[in-house]
Amino acid sequence: MTKRTSQSVRWVGQGMPRVDADGKVRGTTRYVNDVDYKGVLHGVVVRSPVARGILKGLVPDPAFDWSPIVLATAKDVPGENVVVMHDRTMPLIAEIGAEIRYRGEPVAVVAARTPELAAEAARRVRVEVEELPPLLTLQEAIAIFKATPEKLDSMKSQDIVKGDVATGFAAADEIVEAEYWAGHQEQLYLENQGLVVFPQKDGSILAEGSIQCPYFPVHELNDCLKLPPEKIRVRQTAIGGAFGGKEEYPTMLIGYAALPALKSGKPVKIAYERNEDILFTTKRHPVWVRYKTGVKKDGTLTAIECDFILDGGAYLTISDVVMFRGILHCAVAYRCENVTIRGKVARTNSFPCGAFRGFGAPQAIWGIESHVDAIAARLGRAPHEYRRQIHARPGDVTPTGQVLSKENGSTACLELALKRADFAKKLKQVSRGRLRKGQRKLYGVGLAFFAHGSAFTGDGEAKFKAKGRVELARLEGGKPVVDIRVSSTEMGQGVHTIFTQIAADALSLPPAHVRFPMADTGLVPNSGPTVASRTTMVVGNVVHRAAQDLKRQIEAFASLRFFQGAPAELRASQLVAPGAKPVPFAKVAKALLAEIGPASGFFQFELPADIRWDQATFKGDSYPGYSWSANVAEVEIDPLTCELEVKRVTAIVDVGRVINPTLAAGQVEGGLTQALGYAIMEKIGTGKNGLYDAARLQTYIIPTALDVPEYDVKFVEYPYSFAPPGGKGLGELPMDGLAPAIANAVEAATGRRLRQIPITPESIFAALHAPQGGTP
Amino acid sequence: MKITETIDIRFPKTLAEAVRLQASEKTRGKLLAGGTDLMVQWAAGVPIPKRAVSVWNLPELCAIEVFPDRIEIGAGVTHAFLRDAVQIHRHVPALIAAAATVGAKQIQARGTLGGNAANASPAGDTAPALLVTGGSVLLASVSGTREVPLAEFWTGYRQIAARADEIILAFRLPKKGKAQERFRKIGTRQAQAISKVMAASRILVEKGTIRSAAIALGSIAPTPVRLAEVEAFLAGKKLSPKLIDEAEKLAQATVQPIADIRSTAEYRRWASGRLVRDALENL
Amino acid sequence: MSTVQRTWKVNGKPVRVRAPAGRRLLDVLREDLGLIGSKESCGEGECGACTVIVDDEPVVSCILPVGQLADGTDILTIEGIEKKRIGRLIQAAFIECGAVQCGFCIPGMVVSSYALLAKNPKPSAKAIREGLSGNLCRCTGYTKILAAVKLAASRIPAAKRK
Repeated sequence: MTKRTSQSVRWVGQGMPRVDADGKVRGTTRYVNDVDYKGVLHGVVVRSPVARGILKGLVPDPAFDWSPIVLATAKDVPGENVVVMHDRTMPLIAEIGAEIRYRGEPVAVVAARTPELAAEAARRVRVEVEELPPLLTLQEAIAIFKATPEKLDSMKSQDIVKGDVATGFAAADEIVEAEYWAGHQEQLYLENQGLVVFPQKDGSILAEGSIQCPYFPVHELNDCLKLPPEKIRVRQTAIGGAFGGKEEYPTMLIGYAALPALKSGKPVKIAYERNEDILFTTKRHPVWVRYKTGVKKDGTLTAIECDFILDGGAYLTISDVVMFRGILHCAVAYRCENVTIRGKVARTNSFPCGAFRGFGAPQAIWGIESHVDAIAARLGRAPHEYRRQIHARPGDVTPTGQVLSKENGSTACLELALKRADFAKKLKQVSRGRLRKGQRKLYGVGLAFFAHGSAFTGDGEAKFKAKGRVELARLEGGKPVVDIRVSSTEMGQGVHTIFTQIAADALSLPPAHVRFPMADTGLVPNSGPTVASRTTMVVGNVVHRAAQDLKRQIEAFASLRFFQGAPAELRASQLVAPGAKPVPFAKVAKALLAEIGPASGFFQFELPADIRWDQATFKGDSYPGYSWSANVAEVEIDPLTCELEVKRVTAIVDVGRVINPTLAAGQVEGGLTQALGYAIMEKIGTGKNGLYDAARLQTYIIPTALDVPEYDVKFVEYPYSFAPPGGKGLGELPMDGLAPAIANAVEAATGRRLRQIPITPESIFAALHAPQGGTP
Repeated sequence: MKITETIDIRFPKTLAEAVRLQASEKTRGKLLAGGTDLMVQWAAGVPIPKRAVSVWNLPELCAIEVFPDRIEIGAGVTHAFLRDAVQIHRHVPALIAAAATVGAKQIQARGTLGGNAANASPAGDTAPALLVTGGSVLLASVSGTREVPLAEFWTGYRQIAARADEIILAFRLPKKGKAQERFRKIGTRQAQAISKVMAASRILVEKGTIRSAAIALGSIAPTPVRLAEVEAFLAGKKLSPKLIDEAEKLAQATVQPIADIRSTAEYRRWASGRLVRDALENL
Repeated sequence: MSTVQRTWKVNGKPVRVRAPAGRRLLDVLREDLGLIGSKESCGEGECGACTVIVDDEPVVSCILPVGQLADGTDILTIEGIEKKRIGRLIQAAFIECGAVQCGFCIPGMVVSSYALLAKNPKPSAKAIREGLSGNLCRCTGYTKILAAVKLAASRIPAAKRK
């Protein structure tokens, strides 16, 4: 299926080892806590002791020695007390007299020479709050919504409408309706949040640390810190995992650290320990989703009506866009003429939810993929046969009116997954609640099929115009090297390696000539945040084109300098011209640097001209491209204890051109494992005190090496030809579909449909047995 | 300075020295073995003691002795050491299986049998397996050694029968002989799991009749417990599917579990009976 | 507070340490000895990022008070792994198999892998999973890590195998 989209491809498509692996296996890579920042103060955030109330006062303990402490409050905010994300409602730090909206909302920041002294000082600030009754959970919000929909406190609403569902339901033979729930999920990057803010002599700040999107704070803290973008410089250190958790949250953390830093003129570091990191940073949004679907006896979906409500927490932050991505994935993978999707972001008195791999799509796909199985069951159809009939494929029109191009490998994913998993045969062996002959455990197999939109929603990329450079600017050990200058961050996903491959191919140089310095807003143009499954597709294309631009400049120079104006080509590390002796790249590059100075290739991303999107009506081309996947999960449930084990998972993915098969498979296996945790383990509730109840690694349970199933991961390649080398989004896709595949397998094993994740022995027991116990 | 650095820790070289320290309120300290529970609790905010007395690697606590009718395992023996002490595996297989489910390799290398018992968590992995041996704990102090039956050792939530001046010296455990042992833990995941419910059993069956049954559960009460009513019900009865059904139901009727972050009361009650079934079905 | 003085062998070299008895081994390694390869993630012995080998057993250094490590204790950290032949095989296999992503768990993973293979050069697939089950990774899904340990084991010269 692979289309060759670029000539002289050598490195793209190869499983080249990571460029950053050596330091990581030897323990020499420096994460923020491994750097000895001389003279920094350590900051600790003072937090609200209640989930809702009016902040009445902050009283420093007079018995405590405050002389070595920097205490910053809302009074020390240089500008307007607001963190500008997708609205202007969230203060950086609560003000006296203002409403506290979640437990742990910052009310002050203290800084001292040691973390222990700072922590002690934080304890010595008495926070006086007049308590108000909180609304803590999505369950409470949905109870209100069900009683009186308009009473739901929704921070953002958005509908998608195609056709007319009333007509669709009228034409249906069957109506299938159900609700699905999922709770919070913690990103649980192994490296906790941490960064340092250095105040500079000119009044600007430099922030450095575990930061996924260095350009976000540059634009989100201007009003608050009263600093223009050019006076907020942000750079990443090595990042020990992020998964969205270090996307928007570090903006707040920079803001907190900046207050005592600007007040004292000294650098301030804030590094969370695990407990604080789980309690007081963002999580995946809990969801309640209700599907009502109309279907004809022949299987035609006549109507999909969907309410999709996320728990946004106390402030909107970026939740509107999470909800947008959610509703855009609620029905995109199936053929249906009449669709109404209503998305909302409920406000609760809980920590604002935020980005986490998948960004709304896993919540949507959890619902729809469970529901498609429920429809198939109603029709008496096998789940795979039914999906064969109704799945979207090239030429089909999505709920927003987008026509799917030929570059969508939907059918290929579905068919290969069914084949590799031997799905039809295995479906005949499922237990449906009763052990078959020879079975000691209930066996089930389940399927999920889904798409993930690559890059920013709608015309986001058209408006954003990602910029990047590839430069020939310096010698390293006497040899010329090429630097990739984009703002994409390496968080473990492998961007430093795959962009090195892309640049190497575009330049026709070996990867050893290419460097990818850590992202630094002082040095790189804004190629956008490292989010939204956009990096390989969009920024990869920017790197490809910028490298081609640099190549042309090198060739032009060589032509004049070495080949008397004859057209020269950089090919396999040499400049060649017809009839002339080739000149090594190194020689040409040195000459260029010495005689002209640095050369810089540049590219600014643009979408195809025919892309159209109307943000007001949510109509048009909702994503530039779609990645596709089908997952098959096989489970065993011990009837003795209801313990569930996921034995095998087949995952077929179309992410367009696979730049590095080894790294890509690693992304899929890792994403599937996070999805496994989401499906069967990771449970975190909110206590009456407004605090998460699983705030340590002893209580927040993620998969270990003994929990992961056997994975069969295969790629089918339908490249995005507009943007060579043709990758589509990869990072989020494997997080999307395993939970419903497992729920569908559990249904096949037990005969019971579970509509809430995580699916645990307790929930299987509750589904199978009477509340007070007893045998089946 | 991290919180545990403020603790005054003593390192006695011998048991005699350790019990002398513990004898006086002025020198007595919190007993610290491998630290796999205490260091975690202290880091998590449990108030730290002023003093601690390290019994890690105290020679008198680190031996395993095999006698004709029993084995004696020093309180300082680690779970890793139990794993490698293959000569005792056939005598207390449930205990060996339980020790293998404590944490993972790193915790097994430092966690001790005595520490697990002294920590007295209802979810302590080795407690049910110790209980079903019908053995005892040897407690040492300056006034000598006394023996407390394991059945009387865990007196309440995180409370044990040892006095403040006593150190757990060893566990005196009758060999299983012809009885059969089983251990099963339902945890939160496949490794490093804290139990939702777990069961250990030692049951002697002769010619199809249960001669004696010891069954203990963990994580379903403030302490690890023996199911005395179920044991009495089973004793002297012929093993049959009906008996197993009745034992399962009796166990479910007997236990009074609570809900917490790891499980629900309903599931624990049901699973208690299921694990009794598991023990009996595997005889 | 009580202070102890100890002489250990760290990565093959004698090291003299003076520290509060309750100081965590991890802090002594990272802050006093500058061995920053061992990482802290959970601080309660659950994640294994701080795993080091003490007298041939893997331990979590974030909950180990240094007073309990007697004179003569042999400590191997990630910094010492590459001096061992099996250690180098493991590191090479991790790179080759794509077992590394963000890298934060990797020092602990490599140390646990070494502890496993040094004792059992030909582990079963289950033994590898068990040997690494005390080390959490959030990036890789473990699959390539398990493959790397298997590959490293296959390259240990036969003489090293029991």
